[in-house]
Amino acid sequence: MAGPIIQLEGVNKEYGKGKNTVAAMKDVNLNIDAGDFVAVLGPSGCGKSTLLHVMSGLEAPSSGRVLVDAVDVTLISERDLPKVRAQKIGFVFQSFLLIENLTAYENIESVLWPRNDITKQEQENRTLAVLREVDMLERRDHFPKQLSGGEQQRVAIGRALVNDPPILFCDEPTGNLDSKTGENILKIIAQLNREKKMTVVLVTHNQEIAKFAKRTLNMKDGVLR
Amino acid sequence: MLAFILIYAILYIIVARGLTNYPGDWLSYVGLAFIVATIYAILVSQFRRRDISIFKCIGWDNSNVMILVMGEVVLVSFTAFLLVFQISVELLGLAAYITGVASVTGILSILYVDIISMFVTLFWIILAQLPGLVLSMWRATQVPPMRALREE
Repeated sequence: MAGPIIQLEGVNKEYGKGKNTVAAMKDVNLNIDAGDFVAVLGPSGCGKSTLLHVMSGLEAPSSGRVLVDAVDVTLISERDLPKVRAQKIGFVFQSFLLIENLTAYENIESVLWPRNDITKQEQENRTLAVLREVDMLERRDHFPKQLSGGEQQRVAIGRALVNDPPILFCDEPTGNLDSKTGENILKIIAQLNREKKMTVVLVTHNQEIAKFAKRTLNMKDGVLR
Repeated sequence: MLAFILIYAILYIIVARGLTNYPGDWLSYVGLAFIVATIYAILVSQFRRRDISIFKCIGWDNSNVMILVMGEVVLVSFTAFLLVFQISVELLGLAAYITGVASVTGILSILYVDIISMFVTLFWIILAQLPGLVLSMWRATQVPPMRALREE
């Protein structure tokens, strides 16, 4: 296994000011190796989603350093962060977060639209390949409302993969799915880790889901153990 | 979006008729276009907040979301223009040709805008649209990517 692709050094994250300050992350130190599959387990509100947001640069930490694939996301300007996210990170969210008025195909391809380094044909080829990979090719022209929860999540996984990022962040990816569909989604994620060597960080409150990971970390009251 | 196209089409007709029939009040009609266009631009950036924040989560930067908002505003205003154009020039002309001029006189008095007024109106509406467009693009840049996640 290669060296760490994600490093957190003394990361704190606080919300609010003065007496109303709430510490969502307390002195978090973490190394995640390339190709690892880490589950962060903890009850709701323990700070595990905040951990993902901080690792991805969606939220700035109050203090500490966050390195993603050797890039310190705490030092990058707001202007350059989207580029880092697009190149290095794929996201899968609990509520799928698909664009309602785009089809499954367009939702996936939309990640590539801002890229002018690849041709329209290449964008199409990549999107179709990803749709095939998540077994959604036949439903490519359906809008999110016409898809089941499991299908929407597969589209969301496709969207996370289409840029071929080395890291996949999953925030309660099965939270809105029934257990069987959830298991299928987790199998897809585990397969991506196994076959594509993607580094996966999955946060969940469910011990059963964490079993899919190679390594489990526990989080409670903002402290990672 | 359809509702806005219709609103814009009505705006085109009102402003075109105002500029033609009451040239002394041109400022009022351009002012009306400015108010409608600005409200629309604000609403677009408001309605698209969820989409914008999702796009930002998946790696779009501010310039990409500005193009998205600009595209929508331009699309709506030009579609409305083409709609009025179609009605005034082609559909009414065709109806008059087939059923006789007398049969379309009533509709003509409500919907018809002559070509020159239409392009003059287009010019004024584009001009009135600019401040709202800049405002909506700026508002789009202010949407944090975290917004969609917080609404989960």
